[in-house]
Amino acid sequence: MGRQQGWFALILALTIASAALLANYGLQLGLDLRGGSQLTLQVMPAGAITRVDTEQLEAVKEVLERRINGLGVAESTLQSVGNDQLVLQLPGEQDPSQAARVLGSTALLDFRAQKPGTEEEMRGLLGLKRQAESVLRAKRPPSPGDDPTAPPPPEAPPLSQQDLSRALTSLGIEVPAGSSEVDQIELLLRETNRRILSLYGPALITGKDLTSAGRQQQATGSGWEVTLGFNREGGEKFAALTQSIAGTGRVLGIVLDGRSISEASVGEQFKVAGITGGSASISGNFSAEEARDLEVQLRGGSLPLPVKIVEVRTVGPSLGAENIRSSLVAGLSGLVLVAVFMAVVYRLPGIVAVVALSLYALFNLAIYALIPVTLTLPGIAGFILSVGIAVDANVLIFERIKEELRGGNTLIRSIDTGFSLAFSSIFDGHATGLISCGALFFLGTGLVKGFAVTLAIGLLLSLFTALTCTRTLLRLLMSYPALRRPTYFLPARQLPPAKPAAAQAGLA
Amino acid sequence: MTPVPSPRFRISRHRRLAWLGSALACGLSLLGLALCWLNPAIHAPLRPGLDFTGGTQVQVERDCAPCKAVTATEIRQGLTSLNLPSAEGERAPNLSSASVQVLDGGRSLLLRLPALGADQSTALIDDLAARFGPLIKSGTSVNTIGPTLGSRLLQGSLLSLLVSFVGISVYISFSYSGIFAVLALLCLAHDVLITCGLFAWLGLLQGIEVDSLFAVSLITIAGYSVNDTVVVYDRIREQRRTLGELPLIDQVDVAVDATLTRSLYTSFTTLLPLVALIFFGGSTLFWFAVALTLGIAVGSWSSIGLAPTLLPVFAKR
Repeated sequence: MGRQQGWFALILALTIASAALLANYGLQLGLDLRGGSQLTLQVMPAGAITRVDTEQLEAVKEVLERRINGLGVAESTLQSVGNDQLVLQLPGEQDPSQAARVLGSTALLDFRAQKPGTEEEMRGLLGLKRQAESVLRAKRPPSPGDDPTAPPPPEAPPLSQQDLSRALTSLGIEVPAGSSEVDQIELLLRETNRRILSLYGPALITGKDLTSAGRQQQATGSGWEVTLGFNREGGEKFAALTQSIAGTGRVLGIVLDGRSISEASVGEQFKVAGITGGSASISGNFSAEEARDLEVQLRGGSLPLPVKIVEVRTVGPSLGAENIRSSLVAGLSGLVLVAVFMAVVYRLPGIVAVVALSLYALFNLAIYALIPVTLTLPGIAGFILSVGIAVDANVLIFERIKEELRGGNTLIRSIDTGFSLAFSSIFDGHATGLISCGALFFLGTGLVKGFAVTLAIGLLLSLFTALTCTRTLLRLLMSYPALRRPTYFLPARQLPPAKPAAAQAGLA
Repeated sequence: MTPVPSPRFRISRHRRLAWLGSALACGLSLLGLALCWLNPAIHAPLRPGLDFTGGTQVQVERDCAPCKAVTATEIRQGLTSLNLPSAEGERAPNLSSASVQVLDGGRSLLLRLPALGADQSTALIDDLAARFGPLIKSGTSVNTIGPTLGSRLLQGSLLSLLVSFVGISVYISFSYSGIFAVLALLCLAHDVLITCGLFAWLGLLQGIEVDSLFAVSLITIAGYSVNDTVVVYDRIREQRRTLGELPLIDQVDVAVDATLTRSLYTSFTTLLPLVALIFFGGSTLFWFAVALTLGIAVGSWSSIGLAPTLLPVFAKR
């Protein structure tokens, strides 16, 4: 009996530990249960790099983490998946578009000087660009961060349809038939940007020379500007760059991800020393939102490799809540029915099994809290299925015990033989199940993985509870002579008529 | 010690009927898969869902009771005139191929579109809110899956299914014998095929699509099917010692009879939570539970009526 009591003490200790664990840590719910957004980012090879390896993935992840911190979403997680993917989870975030904007672009910033002798061409291009931009802005709804009372930005002369087609022809752009005005203006902007870039010299200062970024409302107009702070070297380069073009009418170009976002001329007064002090501001006529996005990107640094957003999943919290409630109700009602079935069919051991299976459920949840396993819908399904298999283990054992009893064995020996004979089939069944889990876990994707994890935990625990908990509890009960009756195990008519006295006494 | 038992139920007496039933079900399933493949609108053995095709699925819930009726055509017309923002150098996707479903008597709208960027889906939802709003903000869900991700998912699922097949057959070959493994895999294929067949027919007749959860259910069914079959095998292996002289066909009958109660009880207790999921579970898990229920029912059928009865036929040396 000593060994039995040892096992019983262990089970009791595990039960208390599990309950304490659950009370302290709680369960982590997946986004499909609590609502939120999940973005999958694919890191794309670029330039000399043809294959993305883990080192580059880590470098990208580091930059993205800084940007996400800048966004200020609580409890967000960024995980790498495979060799070239990152999964960002934003619990409670219903509108992932800002995150997508901020994370999706490379944010490669540099400063360039206009080449000499191109002043005339640049002036024409910039005029076109301003006109096109202001038309586009007029068509766009105001962003929420903008001050509605602020005066509108100085209007460039309106761009009539006639002017537009003339401008397009002058740049040699073929307009596809049936394209809308907005499409045409975008075409125009793309072409002017390309030509403006061709008039710049090489990149002289890059994002690496930055130490800080901020944003402020422009002194004039309603737009926002992004402020930059350079390190010492960057400050010196900036002074040299501005000095070289001061008073010439040539512009300083600020280029972000291959797009000229700001063109500034430098006044005559900086001819001597350039703009010193190590700071600058970009007044690209940003909306409040755009300025904030750019600030976050510049602070986080530019991405070593471009990323592409390949998957966005958003689940509303009400959808999630409905799912978890109905799945829980279904799971629990199914389990209650199973418990009733076990007690009716298997009598005393059935009741023992129900206790053991309740412990099984408790241990499962405790392990979810411990690892921690994030519970998703497929995960809950895996749990329910593992309960089915755990019940099966008990059914196998009890059927064997009944068989032995029918064969005329004594109660205690029937119990022992039942457990030992059922073991090989239980083990084989669990082993094949675990093989499937392994394949699912290592080869499957997110959803499938969650299912495999809960099922595997369930299978391993079920081996333990069926072979240890049920057995220990049953043995413990059998130490009370009052409970040692074969009729507590199966109906009297199924018992063999022979040797009733010996069976009753439970002696070999 | 044990006298040679005379089984109350002899499965081998009914084996021709069992084979016929399984053959019919497999035939019907293959027909469904073939018809699905030949259907120009599907052109795949099963109707693939968003998870496999890629694209964007937008679901919005309207804040109204009772809701003004909207039709799918009405919504689709609005989509074609919608001007989506587009990234530099890329054209905004054409929404004329969108499929639109109106659910819950107009309360919730489900749109299936080509893959959209975050800005684009926001613009789309704003447009829906303006035309059919107000919308319940927390009832909105947007899922976008890139086209490459879909095929990756499919490859991953197929590969994991295949690897678990191989793993299981290696395990059975070692602990039983090769012929047991072959028959276990045959039964497993039978169970998976019939489940796929049902969903092929559902796809043809009801437009039900298969998603990654369906792939999960197939693998689960595979695991369960083997688990169920192994118990009968285990009995046969155990009896070799006591009933060695008996013809294999009688050994099988004894083993099936001895494990019959267990097989039925286990299927019943596993089906209970699943049936509860069908009736009370959320809509997300409905088809998953249906697939598992059918698969487990078929799985326990094949482990009683198919795997053991085929054993004497194949084991003839």
